[in-house]
Amino acid sequence: MESRNLRVFVMVAVALGAVVLIAATELRLPGNHRGYEPVQPIAFSHRLHSGELKLDCQYCHFGAERSRHAGLPPATMCMNCHRVVTAAWDLVLAEEAAAKAAGRAPATLFSPELKKLYRALALDDHLKPDPSLAPQPIEWVRVHHLPDFVYFDHRPHVARGLACETCHGPVQSMERVRQESDLSMGWCVNCHRSYPALPSAPSAEHVSTDCSSCHF
Amino acid sequence: MNQHDQSPLEGDAAASSRRSFLKLAGFSFATAAVSGCSRGRIEKAIPYLVPAEEITPGRAYFVATTCGACSAGCGVLAKCRDGRPIKLEGNPAQPVNRGGLCAVGQAAVLSLYDAQRLDGPMRGGAPATWEAVDQDVRARLAAIKASGGRIVLLTGTLHGPSTRAAIDRFAQHFGNVRHVMYDALSVAAIALAHQRTHGVRVLPALHFDRARVIVSFAADFLATWISPVEFTADYALGRNPDASPPICSRHIQLESCFSLSGSRADQRIPLAPWQVVPVLERLCAAIAQRSGRACTAARAGVAAAGDPVDIEALADELWQARGHGLVVCGQNDVSAQVLVNRLNALLDNYGVTLDLTRASQQRLGNDAELHELQRAVSAGEVDLMIVQGQNPAYDLPDASWLDKVPTLIVCASTLDETAARAHLVCPEPHFLEAWDDGEPHQGVYTLTQPTLPSLRRARTLRESLARWIGDPQSDLELVKAAWRDVVHARVAAAEPFDAFFHRVQSDAFVVAPVQDAVLPALREDDAAPLAMAPPAAGEHGLVLYASSAMQDGRHAHNPWLQELPDPITKVVWDNYACVSPALASALCLATGDHVRITSPELKGALELPALVQPGQHDQVIAVALGYGRRGTDRFARIGPQWLQAEPTVAAGALVGVNAAPWIRAGELALGYHGRAVRVARTGRRSQLACTQDHHRLEVPEHLRPHGGEVRDAVRTTTLATWLSSPERALLREPERDGQLWPADHRRRGPHWGMVVDLNACTGCSACVIACQAENNVPVVGKDEVARHREMHWLRIDRYYQGDGASTTAVHQPMMCQHCGNAPCETVCPVLATVHSKDGLNQQVYNRCVGTRYCANNCPYKVRRFNWFDYPHTDQLQNMVLNPDVTVRSRGVMEKCSLCVQRIAEAKAEARRQGVPIKDGDIEPACQQSCPASAITFGDLDDPGSAAARKAASLRAYAVLGELNVAPSVRYLAQVANRDHKGSAAHAG
Repeated sequence: MESRNLRVFVMVAVALGAVVLIAATELRLPGNHRGYEPVQPIAFSHRLHSGELKLDCQYCHFGAERSRHAGLPPATMCMNCHRVVTAAWDLVLAEEAAAKAAGRAPATLFSPELKKLYRALALDDHLKPDPSLAPQPIEWVRVHHLPDFVYFDHRPHVARGLACETCHGPVQSMERVRQESDLSMGWCVNCHRSYPALPSAPSAEHVSTDCSSCHF
Repeated sequence: MNQHDQSPLEGDAAASSRRSFLKLAGFSFATAAVSGCSRGRIEKAIPYLVPAEEITPGRAYFVATTCGACSAGCGVLAKCRDGRPIKLEGNPAQPVNRGGLCAVGQAAVLSLYDAQRLDGPMRGGAPATWEAVDQDVRARLAAIKASGGRIVLLTGTLHGPSTRAAIDRFAQHFGNVRHVMYDALSVAAIALAHQRTHGVRVLPALHFDRARVIVSFAADFLATWISPVEFTADYALGRNPDASPPICSRHIQLESCFSLSGSRADQRIPLAPWQVVPVLERLCAAIAQRSGRACTAARAGVAAAGDPVDIEALADELWQARGHGLVVCGQNDVSAQVLVNRLNALLDNYGVTLDLTRASQQRLGNDAELHELQRAVSAGEVDLMIVQGQNPAYDLPDASWLDKVPTLIVCASTLDETAARAHLVCPEPHFLEAWDDGEPHQGVYTLTQPTLPSLRRARTLRESLARWIGDPQSDLELVKAAWRDVVHARVAAAEPFDAFFHRVQSDAFVVAPVQDAVLPALREDDAAPLAMAPPAAGEHGLVLYASSAMQDGRHAHNPWLQELPDPITKVVWDNYACVSPALASALCLATGDHVRITSPELKGALELPALVQPGQHDQVIAVALGYGRRGTDRFARIGPQWLQAEPTVAAGALVGVNAAPWIRAGELALGYHGRAVRVARTGRRSQLACTQDHHRLEVPEHLRPHGGEVRDAVRTTTLATWLSSPERALLREPERDGQLWPADHRRRGPHWGMVVDLNACTGCSACVIACQAENNVPVVGKDEVARHREMHWLRIDRYYQGDGASTTAVHQPMMCQHCGNAPCETVCPVLATVHSKDGLNQQVYNRCVGTRYCANNCPYKVRRFNWFDYPHTDQLQNMVLNPDVTVRSRGVMEKCSLCVQRIAEAKAEARRQGVPIKDGDIEPACQQSCPASAITFGDLDDPGSAAARKAASLRAYAVLGELNVAPSVRYLAQVANRDHKGSAAHAG
């Protein structure tokens, strides 16, 4: 009898100890990648584009409105601006001043990061297609990743008017994108429980927490 | 998972990652707990450099094209994701199939991703380049042209204007060219019979919807004959007891083996192949007598003793429905077809149920020309032969003549029996990656468009012929040129061609006006019909039939079709010799006993397992064609490999046995029926994997609850009862009140449910493959099926009806019934199966721990357990996986979800557009593919929805409703057009 009590005590103690350890050391459950901030092949700055230039998120991530995936913009979409903007504005101004002082035409400056974009599209220094180069897709590192048995759909969330920051955090202030929420099921469900199903009738039931809303 | 694959070839890691998730989960728990925020894998997201116009990553788009799995020419909408087709759906606008698509068509998408398809041409059995092959062929052709030699093109049915034009130009260029078409499942006798009776070589279009009486002599028009999807749709239209007034054709099937069409007949009469001509003769005489017209072909008064058919009754029925009857015959026998034509002419059916205006071109084969070709080749008169789309070394009774062709060029997609003998092999593309066109009915032009860039270095015959005459053009250019010449002028001459072609591309078909054909007068002077000799004493008649899944064998490398249970016998992965119970007891045979079939006319023997088939003629042995294809030994290890696993195919053997050598090579037509054979037991036994008894709904007598009511799982009534008192025709469910859930457990939103019309369902099994394709259902192999472990979410239960005189069957698609009071939900210890607010019984794979309590407690036996990780090692084949559905891993339960991914998609789209979901927006895969429109999905709470209206029908009932499980799937009872109420249905 005593040994059994002892065993139960030890097990409870170990369990409690594990909880304390996890709480104290910020150890996490598997799959929780909060704070994940991988280095990307091109040092694209969301702070600059989204924060300073105030580009709409859905200008580039246009899939969010019409597809399950928000998606990444095709390289040709970057070229909408970067056919003209090839380097940082202050460097371009400095070059223009220097050229004016030297009495020559200003040279076209290329930022080293944008050169990677042009290389991917197989463009030469005049941004013309270079037949000797092969186009190479840009392999971005995915930041927000859900397990394969979860089918998250951006469409209803965007249609409901949810701000991107609600889940993705203050991307406009991030130089490199970081996973802000833990994207756990509890985190999803907490929000679903507190949102009314219909915006017009806040007293009605909350949005669906059926398993098959996300798992199928 | 790479979210935005650029090319389908870049691979999709999804399958392996999903499967390995649970496996890794345990390990990663430990790892993650130690390493904190480490990531197991770095996921790449690779966007397009230049976006494709129609592709939004994550969204499906549809390419309208035409199915090339057979020559029927059904329209399909190929559902594509990220640049690759993942599912084929019928095109509702297309006039041939009108939305349905058969099992073979559904499965064709898997063949696209077959790793064994040829990649690049071959010369002398070794890989070669296209340049080398072209040079070689041109040199050989030039030499033949110079010497005045003869060139032959041997193909299957080709009705496309562009291919015909290419062949014509090829023939003009080389002069001495003959084009011979033949069909492996030949119906050439029909056209030949019309030549004799009407003076025109034509295959009429058949309208089963306009027929009030259908008499079919062994024509399996609902499964394999000419254009089954088209005929099934028509047939279902002609049998609608809910219409006002109710329409219900009367279908009498006279056949020797049990076909799918026979199973649906109102009256099914066993009739041996050698009895067909005498019966037709007497029927002709009887009809002629009623019409007062002479019929020289019919010799009256040849009634044999022990007549199997009541000719007078049959004649009365046909005569009463004259002008709206239809007699068809599946026996490829000119004498029989001539008599059928006379019958239809005497009954004035031409112009109503048989239409020559839009005559069918779906089978253009000419067996007489094939016979002549074999003679010419054997005599050394042919110098070069190009074979395309057919496999004569496999599907003709004798292939030795092929070796006498000095140069044999074969255009095939795999190294099949014929290609293996060829001097030059030119790979053919799959129809989903090539341009093509067709004209299945006169004036109905179809277009086939590529859905992805070719996965193989393959080329169509059309393009090859253009190159070999020194006029290289792309496939698209050739198709466009033919459409400009042939179609454009007929359809829309006023419209600019480019606009016209663009419009056609979005529909993939166009219908040209045709002039009404004038039916030539019936010719009376004809030779006396030749009746087949009955087998001598001690001999039996061999009938070679096409099975629903294998057809002529061209799809034998498709594992979905190999594992599709035969609609009648429910056997997978094999062919077998069907014998009647009486014959089986006479020969002391049981199912699985091997028999040896021999014939004095032939060397060799056919040795295969026997299967006892009720309803079959006692003197007939039936064997399916299409098995024993070269290379099917690849499936030996298709299932999960484990300790007790047995191979699907025995060492050195193939899937089934080829029965084609037993076809009779007649001068006029290939004969599949009635060869006299001897049958003997060999003493060997093997197990046939048969699914019928795996998931029985019947409770054995001794286990039935005391006093508990037991009702038939399938219900039938007769048309007479239905017309006189529909209320009494069927037992209505008493409303039950016992609810499992308390009042606070209320449902919200729609109540998704489904209604299956057993009167429309023909059991064709298109839904089974549609479900498999949509829901990533794995193939498990013969051994696992034999262990009751097949994974199909939707099965079709077959219930025999009637007695020996007229055995028919009812087919009941059975899938998860999404019970309101679901027995599975209450026993799951981990809440992995729970009810959703909109009435779905949800299965949550990531919660399931595999106790299998739910499957044990399911009265419908529709839950499937993943005993293993089913192989997903073929990366190319994995491209067919639906990215919207989880690939389940070992140890979890799964079952029909009512295509919840389609519901979710429709909901998301509706929210995006701010509109409610309309009835009909959501179509589960099974409903979409059903040629007979037997399945209706919808909101059962919305009284206006099609499903709710059908569920309110007097025919509606719930299977096992007495258990008060409140299923969301309802069945509509079958209304048979027969005199007496069929005896109670029973499984078996």
